[in-house]
Amino acid sequence: MNVLPLILYAAAGLAYAVHFARRAPQAGRLATTLLVFAALSHTFVIGMQTMEVRHVPFANASSATSTFVWLLALSYLYLELTTDERAMGVCIVPLLVGLQTIPVVSPGVERIDPVFESPWFWVHVSSLLFAYASFALAGVLGLTYVVQFKEIKKKHLGYFYTRLPSLQTLDVMNERAVAVGWLFLTVGVVVGAIWTGQARAAAPDDPNLQAMALNDPKIFVAVLTWAVYSFAMVARRAMGWSGRRAAWLSAVGFAIVLLNFLPINYFVTTSHTF
Amino acid sequence: MGIDVHLFLLGVSHRTAPVDLRERLDFSSRDVGAAVEALAARSSAAESVVLSTCNRSEIYLGTADPTRVRDEVVAFLSEYHELAREVFLPHIFTYDDAAAAHHLFRVAAGLDSLVVGEPQILGQVKDAFQVASGRHCTGPLLNKTFHSAFGVGKRVRTETALGEGAVSVSFAAVALARKIFGRLDGRRVLVVGAGEISALTAQHLRSHGVAEIVITSRTGAHADALAAEVGGRAVPWSEMGAAIARADIVVTATGSQRPIITRAHVEAATGRKRVDPLFLIDIAVPRDVDPGVADIEQVFLYNVDDLQNIVQENLARRGAEIARAEAIVGEELARFTAWQRSRRAIPTVVALRQRFDEIRRAELRRLDARLAGLPPEVRARVDEVTRLLVEKLLLEPTEQLKALPDEETQAIYTEAVNRLFRLSESSDETAGEPDPLPTDRSRPE
Repeated sequence: MNVLPLILYAAAGLAYAVHFARRAPQAGRLATTLLVFAALSHTFVIGMQTMEVRHVPFANASSATSTFVWLLALSYLYLELTTDERAMGVCIVPLLVGLQTIPVVSPGVERIDPVFESPWFWVHVSSLLFAYASFALAGVLGLTYVVQFKEIKKKHLGYFYTRLPSLQTLDVMNERAVAVGWLFLTVGVVVGAIWTGQARAAAPDDPNLQAMALNDPKIFVAVLTWAVYSFAMVARRAMGWSGRRAAWLSAVGFAIVLLNFLPINYFVTTSHTF
Repeated sequence: MGIDVHLFLLGVSHRTAPVDLRERLDFSSRDVGAAVEALAARSSAAESVVLSTCNRSEIYLGTADPTRVRDEVVAFLSEYHELAREVFLPHIFTYDDAAAAHHLFRVAAGLDSLVVGEPQILGQVKDAFQVASGRHCTGPLLNKTFHSAFGVGKRVRTETALGEGAVSVSFAAVALARKIFGRLDGRRVLVVGAGEISALTAQHLRSHGVAEIVITSRTGAHADALAAEVGGRAVPWSEMGAAIARADIVVTATGSQRPIITRAHVEAATGRKRVDPLFLIDIAVPRDVDPGVADIEQVFLYNVDDLQNIVQENLARRGAEIARAEAIVGEELARFTAWQRSRRAIPTVVALRQRFDEIRRAELRRLDARLAGLPPEVRARVDEVTRLLVEKLLLEPTEQLKALPDEETQAIYTEAVNRLFRLSESSDETAGEPDPLPTDRSRPE
């Protein structure tokens, strides 16, 4: 079922690439249209799965990835439609395509467990996924900023200079994406802690639940992520770390998020084995 | 009938006439509308448009007799501008039909401009047409020609990069500022040294909505004068350091032999809490800003050579787009000439229709006595059926005549049709015919 959105994402990615290279407005409109349809079909897929397992499908790494892709697509579309800047699509949409390939290639089995029907769990996971989607946007915006900054600073006004948005636009978008991501990350971590406490009391024998502590890699990296983004926000205000430094920080932050999401999810974690 | 109207163009431009002559033949400083009306009254041309900018004065006409109109326009120019014709005759150019359309299309595309691809010309062409059509001086030919030209201008703008990239130092500086700050409204500008280029740059920045322009100069009076000119505020030379700290964009153009803005100045201005970048535009020779300033984080420093390089690159890039723009002009010209040819077919088509309708009426008259006994609605039906029959028979020949590929073929076909249906004779026979076929009925329902 995840194949249709994947195909549409890939088609949109192609259109964004053509739009970026040729700067053709028609290709840009086509790209946005395709992406909207991809997101709609993805919404349908996730809706179907939700009805099937009675909670939003993110209780295994594959379905969580799919939900993450969906949230990232929606966040990006929001950004594009509110700022009228299409140039970022060429970076974001390939990311969507790459990640969406995971649930298509290895669908995984969605676990049905009463523990997942707790509203706390639902809030926990969806907050975190949304936070990660925002950080993904911020990371790409950061890298774009660095590219554009370099062209202007070195006075090589070349290929990217004409195509990318202004530094100020990129910086403001980055700041907003980090702030939104940080807020949801905070909510996700706090709710996760509360839910763990409750679930432990309810199911004292579950090994997963007992392993949930700071020394679990997944939880540790999540807290590390939180620290990085908190620093980014404080540094921007107190130390003038805007622009290129903020851009690098958000890129590093997203690298950590990706690390947490992919290898740690699949190989290392002891508690979040979903 | 207005069918055999030719497009005729007479003008001077920066390619054919020196600036003082262009000034003397200029219409734009006076009322162009009045000029078009005066021209329309003076000449025998059915349609007229006057396009007048600082680089060209061009008169577009729709006329059945270009040779006669040429002399009329020369006389008009001479009278209107009070200029002996010998003075301007060596500098004028004239074009007919497709060549005239080709010229207008190139003008609208920005291909004939002094700075290739400059964007104002399309608006000026539109204005010229509006003025003339508002005074009912245009007709089918010039309406079509100018609307085609607008289409060419739009296509060139959207499909090529001919108009992209700043081609003057001050525009290049503004374009850079916009890539750094996005929108410029709310930004603060400091101008150090009150020269010509700094005034020009300040004005461009002002037109992009900057919030504040502060000017400082060693000579206070110069700063005051420039402040008044661009709507800014002058501050004493001693306050330059504080002014840099407040500014987002600094333009320097003093005659100083040594750098006046040092690393220390800028480091003080971009202290720990500064969030926004600082953009320094140094258009002075020798330079006003210590080159080491460029190493500071969040500081962008461009000197006049850097800006000149950008201008050169942009000009080169525009040059590379010329061929694409000319191709668009060629395509649109082909469509335009096809339209013109189809118009030339109209007299033949109309004559053919009249001929067929005459035959139809004659036959109906002949049958009149036999049809007299029928009820009126049946008679109306007979009339209708015969009319539809004629329409159907003529549909394909009409389309074919309009779509003929060139004038030679057109002449052959016209001759053939005239002979086959004796069209030239029919017009004499029907001179007294009270009710010819209405032209708006030229297509079947």
